[in-house]
Amino acid sequence: MSAPAADHVIEVRDLAKVYHTPFSRRRVVALDGVSFSVEPGEIFGFVGPNGAGKTTTIRILMGLIRPSQGSASLFGLPVPSRAARARIGFLPEAPYFYEYLTVGELLDLVGRLFGLDRRARRRRADELIDVVGLTRARKQPLKNYSKGMLQRAGIAQALVGDPELVVLDEPTSGLDPLGRREVRQIVLALRDAKKTVFFSSHILADVEAIADRVAILVGGKLYEVGRVSELVDRKVISTALILHVPAADGVAAAAAALQPRCQQIERRGDELELEIGADGDVDEILAEARALGARVVSVSPRHETLEDLFVRRARIAGSEGLGRARPQDDVTEEAAP
Amino acid sequence: MSRAGAVGRSTGSMLGRIYAVALNTFRWAIRHRFLIAVLIVSAGVMLFALVLGQMSLHQEQRVAIDVALGGTSFFGCITAMVLGSLLLYTEVQRRTIHTMLAKPIERHELLLGRYAGMAASLTLLVAVSAVMMAGLFWLQDVPFTAATAKSLILTWVEVLVVAAVAAFFSSFSSPVLSGVFTAGIWLVGRATDELRAAVESAASPVIRAACRAALYAVPDLHLLQVSGSTLDGVEVSVHGDFVSWSYVAAAAGHGALYVGVLLALAVVIFARRDFL
Repeated sequence: MSAPAADHVIEVRDLAKVYHTPFSRRRVVALDGVSFSVEPGEIFGFVGPNGAGKTTTIRILMGLIRPSQGSASLFGLPVPSRAARARIGFLPEAPYFYEYLTVGELLDLVGRLFGLDRRARRRRADELIDVVGLTRARKQPLKNYSKGMLQRAGIAQALVGDPELVVLDEPTSGLDPLGRREVRQIVLALRDAKKTVFFSSHILADVEAIADRVAILVGGKLYEVGRVSELVDRKVISTALILHVPAADGVAAAAAALQPRCQQIERRGDELELEIGADGDVDEILAEARALGARVVSVSPRHETLEDLFVRRARIAGSEGLGRARPQDDVTEEAAP
Repeated sequence: MSRAGAVGRSTGSMLGRIYAVALNTFRWAIRHRFLIAVLIVSAGVMLFALVLGQMSLHQEQRVAIDVALGGTSFFGCITAMVLGSLLLYTEVQRRTIHTMLAKPIERHELLLGRYAGMAASLTLLVAVSAVMMAGLFWLQDVPFTAATAKSLILTWVEVLVVAAVAAFFSSFSSPVLSGVFTAGIWLVGRATDELRAAVESAASPVIRAACRAALYAVPDLHLLQVSGSTLDGVEVSVHGDFVSWSYVAAAAGHGALYVGVLLALAVVIFARRDFL
C-alpha cells in the first residue's frame, strides 16, 4: 500500500460544511472556507470555543461526514481514504467504545483492523495498556471505566497501528489536572517519536504548553494560523505588583494613594495586588509604595497569552455575528435566505 | 513509547477486517441480555411441549415436533428482528462508529461484518434450539428424521433472511421503525400463498396490483415454512412426506439471493450517510 509522498500531513482547502435542519430547512453553517496545513512532525493545536467547527473539521478528515465544499487530504490522499487511515490514530471527542469489551479485547479488535498478527496484537496491547496506566483494570469491561479511564483506553486504541499522524479531539476535556498532565506527556512523547499530532482543544493552557503551531477557529471561520510565538504579542501588556503593608491602617491608605495609577487594585489581608497598564511607570509606583511603608513582594510583567489572543479573536467574531449558537452541536446557525 | 517494529502499513485482507467486525458483533450478541432471555424462554417452551403432549390424545410425537420447530422459527425470527434492528443503530447512537470508521476499514466491510457476526449468533441460537429439540425428542421417543433436519435448515435460512431485512432497515431508520417494518415484511412474506390467491381472485384491481407488488417486493418466507402446504399437487408435511434436499437447496438459494440484495441496498445507503 504505497502512498504518494506529500509535503503536508494534513491539507485542508476552502473547506465548508452546511447542514439543513430536517423540517424547518434552516441553513446551519458549521464550517466556512477553512484552509490550513499540518507539517510532518509538528504538534498542531486546533483551538476554538464550543461550536467553532473543530469536531466537524476532524470528522471530515476522518471520512465520517462529507464536506459541502472544498477539499481535504491526508498524506496527499484525498479523504476519505482507507490507505491514509492506515497511517492515522484517532481519539474521538468523549469517546465511547464497545462497553461489553475489556480494554485488551478492544485493542485486539483494533489490531485486527490494522492487519496485525496475533503476536503483534498481544505485544502491542500489553505495551499500550502499560503506557496509559490501565494494567490493573485490563480485565474489567469498559462499562465499569470512569471517564478518565475511557480516555486512556481511547488513547491506547489510537496508537495500536503505530500511526504517523495522531488526531485527538479534545483529549484533555473532562480530565482532572493529573490526567491532563499525563495526556500532555503522552503527546510530547509522540513528538519525540517523530509523530505528527493534530489535536483540538478549548483548554488553551494545554495548547500553549505543547503546540508548535495553532489554528484559531471561531464560528466556523479560521482566524489565525501560526506559531504561538508569532501570533501572540510578546510586548509587556501589564505588570502585576504584590505589596506587603505591615501597618494595619496602612493598607487602606496605600490602596487609596496608588489607586489612580493602576488598572486594577485588590486587597488581600495586609497585601495589595496591583495591575499596572503597559503605559504605567512601574519604577515610580514602586518608589511611591516604598515611601508609604510597603514592602515589594513581587513584580511580574505579563505578556499576551494564547488566551488573550483567543478572547480578542472571539470578540471580533462576536462583533461579526459569529456567535456560539449551539455549542454542543459544534455548529452556528444562520437564517435560511 | 517505542515504535512497534513489526507494525507496517499493510492492513491485512478485506476478509480479515470483516472477520474482526463479525467477531466483535458475535461477542455483542451473545453478551446481550435479549439472546440469553430468548434461550431461557425457548427452553421453557420445549418443556411446555412435554405438558401439551401429555394433554393431547396420543399425539405426543406430533405436538413435540410442531412446538419445537414452531418455537425455533418464532424465537429465531423475533431475535433476528431485535438484533437486526439494533445492529447499526447502537453503533451510530453510541458513536462507536466514529472510532471504527476512522480505522482502515471501508463502510461496506463494517456493515457486512456486523451482519456476519449477527448471522453467526443467530446460527448459534438455532443450533442450541436444535440440541434442546433433540433432548425433547429423546424424552418423547420421537425420531430425529431427515424431515426434521430439512425443516430446521429452512428455519435457519428464514431467520437469516429476517435478520437481513432488519439490518437493511437499520441502515437508515430507528430500531422501533426497523422492528415494525421487519415484522410487517415477515408477516407478509409468510402469507405469500394467500397473496397469490388474492392476485387470482380479488375483485378490486387495486388490491390485485398491491398483492402482485408485494409478491415481488417481499421475500417468499412461505417457501421456508412449507410444512402443511401443497406443492405441485402433493401435500408436504414434516410429519410425513416432506420436501426433497434439492428443494431445500433451491429455497436456501432464494433466501440467499434476498440476503444479498438487501445487504447490497444497505451498503449503498450506509455509504452515503454522514455520521455526526
